[in-house]
Amino acid sequence: MTGKHTMPLTDIKVADFSWFGAGPICAQNLARYGATVVRVESEAHIDGLRGVMPFAQQVCPDCGGSGCPKCANTGKVTKTGYNVSGYFNNYNAGKLDVTINLSTEMGKEMARRLIAWCDVFITNQTPRMIDRWGFHYEELKKINPDIIAAYQPMQGFDGPHRDFFGFGAVLNAITGYNELSGFPNRPPMGLGTNYPDYVINPGHTLIAIIAALRHRKKTGKGQCIELAQLESVISTLGPVVMDYNENGRVQTRKGNRLSYASPHGAFRCQDITWENQPMDRWVAFGVFNDAQWQALVDVMGSPAWAEDAKFSTLDARKANEDELEANITEWTRERTAEDAMALLQSKGIPAGVVQNSKDVLEDEQMRARGYFEYLDHPETGRSAYDGSPFKLSKTPGSLRSPAPLLGQHNEYVCREILGMSDDEIAEALVEQALY
Amino acid sequence: MPDSALSDIRVLDLTGETGVYCTKLLADLGADVIRIEPPAGDPLREIGPFWHDGKAADRSLTFLHNNTNKRSITLEITKPEGRVAFEKLVATADVVAETYKPGYLDSLGLGYAGLCKIRPDIILTSMTGFGQTGPHAGYEWSDIAGVAMSGMMWLAGDKEDPPNRPYGNQGNICASIDGAAGTMMALYHRDLTGEGQHVDVSMQEALCINQETAMMAYDMTHRIASRTGARGLIPIDLPGIGIFDANDGQVFCYLGTPGGAPWTTMVEWMAREGKAEDLTEGDNYEMVQSLNLGFLTGLVREPEKLPARIKVLGHMREVFARFIASFSKWYIYEEAQKQRLMIGIVSTPEDLAKNPQLAARQWYQKVDHDHLGATVTLTGPPYRLSATPWSMRRRAPLPGEHNSDIFGGELGLSAGEMERLQAAGAI
Repeated sequence: MTGKHTMPLTDIKVADFSWFGAGPICAQNLARYGATVVRVESEAHIDGLRGVMPFAQQVCPDCGGSGCPKCANTGKVTKTGYNVSGYFNNYNAGKLDVTINLSTEMGKEMARRLIAWCDVFITNQTPRMIDRWGFHYEELKKINPDIIAAYQPMQGFDGPHRDFFGFGAVLNAITGYNELSGFPNRPPMGLGTNYPDYVINPGHTLIAIIAALRHRKKTGKGQCIELAQLESVISTLGPVVMDYNENGRVQTRKGNRLSYASPHGAFRCQDITWENQPMDRWVAFGVFNDAQWQALVDVMGSPAWAEDAKFSTLDARKANEDELEANITEWTRERTAEDAMALLQSKGIPAGVVQNSKDVLEDEQMRARGYFEYLDHPETGRSAYDGSPFKLSKTPGSLRSPAPLLGQHNEYVCREILGMSDDEIAEALVEQALY
Repeated sequence: MPDSALSDIRVLDLTGETGVYCTKLLADLGADVIRIEPPAGDPLREIGPFWHDGKAADRSLTFLHNNTNKRSITLEITKPEGRVAFEKLVATADVVAETYKPGYLDSLGLGYAGLCKIRPDIILTSMTGFGQTGPHAGYEWSDIAGVAMSGMMWLAGDKEDPPNRPYGNQGNICASIDGAAGTMMALYHRDLTGEGQHVDVSMQEALCINQETAMMAYDMTHRIASRTGARGLIPIDLPGIGIFDANDGQVFCYLGTPGGAPWTTMVEWMAREGKAEDLTEGDNYEMVQSLNLGFLTGLVREPEKLPARIKVLGHMREVFARFIASFSKWYIYEEAQKQRLMIGIVSTPEDLAKNPQLAARQWYQKVDHDHLGATVTLTGPPYRLSATPWSMRRRAPLPGEHNSDIFGGELGLSAGEMERLQAAGAI
């Protein structure tokens, strides 16, 4: 540490009353760039992600790792408890953790002290929960007039659907991702994840919070940020809504095809073997102009079919796309996905292997750039965390500590931040306010 | 006029598809974003859909969406005359945003080091497929290459199909969101220290966290998660979980989750509508009373009872499916949510346009587009800031619409100089 502002947010204090994905990920990025973030949890209102796989493993205590029926001959068993979920840990590193039970009066008082201490308050709890806690902006402002309060309700704090609830997978449906993604002969099944929770909503919130921090630095004034998750997602889908409003067209899913490129999709390559089972492999690419089409024809060794006029222009290829894709697959099927990508890239065609999680963790590019951060955690051991979403040349962010154990910093937070005496801390324990 | 968060910031926008939503985010928060278009035509204006399906430079809906609140100049920075004008603009700018292949701006002497000579505290935001450094920095990219390499595409779709590309160029969207967030962070640092820097966004990295638990699952347990189609993680078809057909579309259901109403609430509703069939009776009702996630987890512990239970569950699923199929998707969605049953509508673009919540919150923005002689409805703010609100001040610009304002008015070029630039093909 060389100067006062080694990191942009070194002086910023954050009270993180969020849970699951969209809130914690945003707060983690504030921590990554220097903020002191206190994550508030409670055993009475546990973050569901602490109970969701994957869980860290340990050597099987029954066989010592040599393999036995208890561990299905793997030599390893899953650890248990609140602190070993990779899902939770990946979004909460670099934070202090305090358990405050907000269903007790004393817990509410402790929360109010934390709110008085912080610069930024963030939560993705439902409007009903905010009502119950009494944590609306007007209420927080009475405790801390300059506070920046960021809320991420599903649908907003007013309107007929204010109390509609859900999580990422439901949001995928409501916002149109399900209807618009995937193949037309399949149901609108979505993206296989709670997609908007991970970048769209935490990322938009981060932008808004820093905007508010700039304003506060200039004027000394705080403000309220309301990110309705529904609105945040649909704001990225403008053209498809405009196509309905302006042209009356109701678009639906088209698989991997794109109106202004052909071919455009994922093409099957040679299978590999993983744990004695075949695993499918794919290369994804698109051809956006005539030069790229010629390059593709060259890469494939100028097969006779490719000279046919029915593939010579974008419009022609769009009209014969089933046949085009089948022909290309004959070429990709003969190659590994990695070789196909390298060949295509060598001729200037934007191509990528459809990588799985193993590929990504071992990806030479991401390794060379140091994307993943490996942190030692007292219960999980060393594990990988997603790195910074952007690299800043002069103030590179980093996670300064692994995910906290549940209540790991209770004593520190109570004493140093909330200014509680030993007697008050003892009372908080007895009252189950510190719980 | 309320304050805006970035009213003191000027951004020079050299982005293509990967970064154009980044500069929209900055413009919509009040920055003066000057879009620099090649005089030969901006490729982004060729991307459909088009207004009234007429292909013209001012009709790309994708362009109109992504360039709100920006001004436009036409400028060829590779021509000597154009470069001089660009350098004059850099001297007035806080941020340059770009999506060229790594090294291209450096080759012109206009990379981060070159820009710093003109404006020492400049922030350069670069959004590319794989980042500025590393063995793949020179790779070509597009949205599908980025989502493929990030791991998220592998997780989407049915086992029998190719992996699914998420709709809506999510690689471009995520790179842009992270580019805007990185720019904001760099601006805040500059506010504190006077120091600018280079913001380097890799689409592959920006998307990586969208793998949900797959990365951690491999790291912790050496298992490779893969796509499981409509069923998700649950290996058998269950009542009330998954996609169901309404009489005019679909809904997505996830009944029995913690925090939501139990199955008994669902069956009471079905009974009120006269469509519970025999779910209120005997073994069926016993199952209705016990069906929740905990019960499902416990199913596997008593394998001898499984066949009978699967029979009851299968029957419940059929009755549930018949119930959903007899109503509209909007009715099911709104009635279910009022009772805290976790059901979401599978919205089509028409449903998005007609969503009553968005209407009540006056979210969509009707913006006059004089060049079309029409009002165009645009999406509204991703966030509402009480003191420095998002605002819609200006429709997307026409090509070079602000040439004379900026070159003449702000840079002080004379009419003769502008003519010379035009003759040289620089503007």
